[in-house]
Amino acid sequence: MGPELLLAATATLSLAVIVAPPRVARGSLLTWGLLGLAGMAAMVVAPSLDLVFLILLVLAVLQARLTSHRDFASRLRAPVLAVALLAVGLAFERMQGPPVLERFGAVGMVAGLVAAIGLLPFVHEFDPEESVVASPIPWIAFIGPLLAATVLSRARQVLPAEAGDAFGAMLIGLGLLNMLGGSLGSWRTAGDAAAWRYAFMADWGLALCGFGLAIADGQAAALLLLFSIVLGRLPLYLFSRPALREKNPTDRPINLVVAAVLAGSAPFAGFPARVLLLRGATQLYWPLALVLAAGMLLWLPGSLRLGRSMGVPRGRQAVGVAVVLAVNVFLGLYPQPLLTLAGL
Amino acid sequence: MAVAAFVAWLGAALVVLADGRRGLALGLALVTPGFAVLVWPSGGALGVSAVVAGGAIASWQCWRSGAATWGIMPAGSTPRLVLCVASGLLALWVAASVTTGPGTPLRFAVLVVLGLMGARVLASREIAVVLTSIACFALALAAAPDLAAISPGPVPDIIGGLVAAGVMFVPRMQGEPDLAPGHGVAGAQGGRPDKDGS
Repeated sequence: MGPELLLAATATLSLAVIVAPPRVARGSLLTWGLLGLAGMAAMVVAPSLDLVFLILLVLAVLQARLTSHRDFASRLRAPVLAVALLAVGLAFERMQGPPVLERFGAVGMVAGLVAAIGLLPFVHEFDPEESVVASPIPWIAFIGPLLAATVLSRARQVLPAEAGDAFGAMLIGLGLLNMLGGSLGSWRTAGDAAAWRYAFMADWGLALCGFGLAIADGQAAALLLLFSIVLGRLPLYLFSRPALREKNPTDRPINLVVAAVLAGSAPFAGFPARVLLLRGATQLYWPLALVLAAGMLLWLPGSLRLGRSMGVPRGRQAVGVAVVLAVNVFLGLYPQPLLTLAGL
Repeated sequence: MAVAAFVAWLGAALVVLADGRRGLALGLALVTPGFAVLVWPSGGALGVSAVVAGGAIASWQCWRSGAATWGIMPAGSTPRLVLCVASGLLALWVAASVTTGPGTPLRFAVLVVLGLMGARVLASREIAVVLTSIACFALALAAAPDLAAISPGPVPDIIGGLVAAGVMFVPRMQGEPDLAPGHGVAGAQGGRPDKDGS
């Protein structure tokens, strides 16, 4: 999954730089985006998980260096906690000892991954006025998907079967927590920028559930959800930033279409992902599918709100939104080539 | 090997207990030989050289920049002292009693340094402290692959050494102090004190 997500992140960065709103500093976006891409490429080719953690540490230090209202130390706390949990978890998996140690290791790795991305219960501090590159958004929407795919695929090779069950259960539990917390937050929170961040968390909740199912349908759903985050939600968030500053919600047809993309309705990329997830959950344990289906309804109010917060895109932004919609329609109608490319 | 693991713990404890540049540099300088000895069986001369070079450069950079103070165990550092001793005992119990197989000193050193440095970063607001902790973190991560059954070679040691040295050269932002005057009080910019109140 790693190379495919790297390509998707490259495409999103290119789109963001080309059609960025006039007030955005393109040079800074391109420089820091390329640095992030270099780190992500290094993660893909890294021969061991320990090197992935070292790369994560370097990326965190570089991002914390950027000018922001939050101080250097507070921005590094979450990534360092993540690396500590991941490294201790991996160390436990490598040690010979009682089975409970392996389960502790699985818990550490899942907790570390969630802390690195910035999901519940390790939510990164968020300042709506902060620039996108210095904010927690790159962790949750740009670097995070590839990091999760890399860590989870390699962790499954290290984990023994008994710990694998605990690993999957932790992923599903945290996935449900983020799904509910994120979708309710994106609906009820006061600020529109914070609502976008909660919406990212909700999508991640579904992706974690997909990874936790550990069957082909679950993995395919998780991959499609990660793609819809990188190629759908992230660019739409970038295009919505000017309207978020102006606080001028609109109710045009384009806002409804954007809301449909964000809600994962047909024919966009989120739809086949949800169908695959429900099918996988039904195969494994049908009450889980029931909970997931009920939770998916919570996407609607939050997505309508986010769609309205986008305003009316004009000029280059309108072109960008059109490209994002086209890509999401294509992924929604023809997901199989992508899944085949990822070996699923 | 046991002595090297003890030296690594001592260095990490010094980083936790020190608020001054010199104290932090000394702690990092102790962590470096500890891990250099521990990575010898898998990393060989190349791995050891990388760890020593990375740790030495990071310590030197830490030593020469900022106010020349030691700041070891300032008033109010009792909780940190308890943390150092308790985490050492816990890591020793896990490494020597709970887990089995060869490599007890390496298990102890990796667990205790990761734990102590994680706690130090979470409880501190000063750039110098955070960067020194991250350099120690990188050295521990360089040694951690040796816990695996298959030897990883010197690559993790080289990258760990590079990261340890590199993070100390991260340019400072305007308006953020490296270390506030008075050890541990981030008062110059209206910052909050450390969690232990020092």
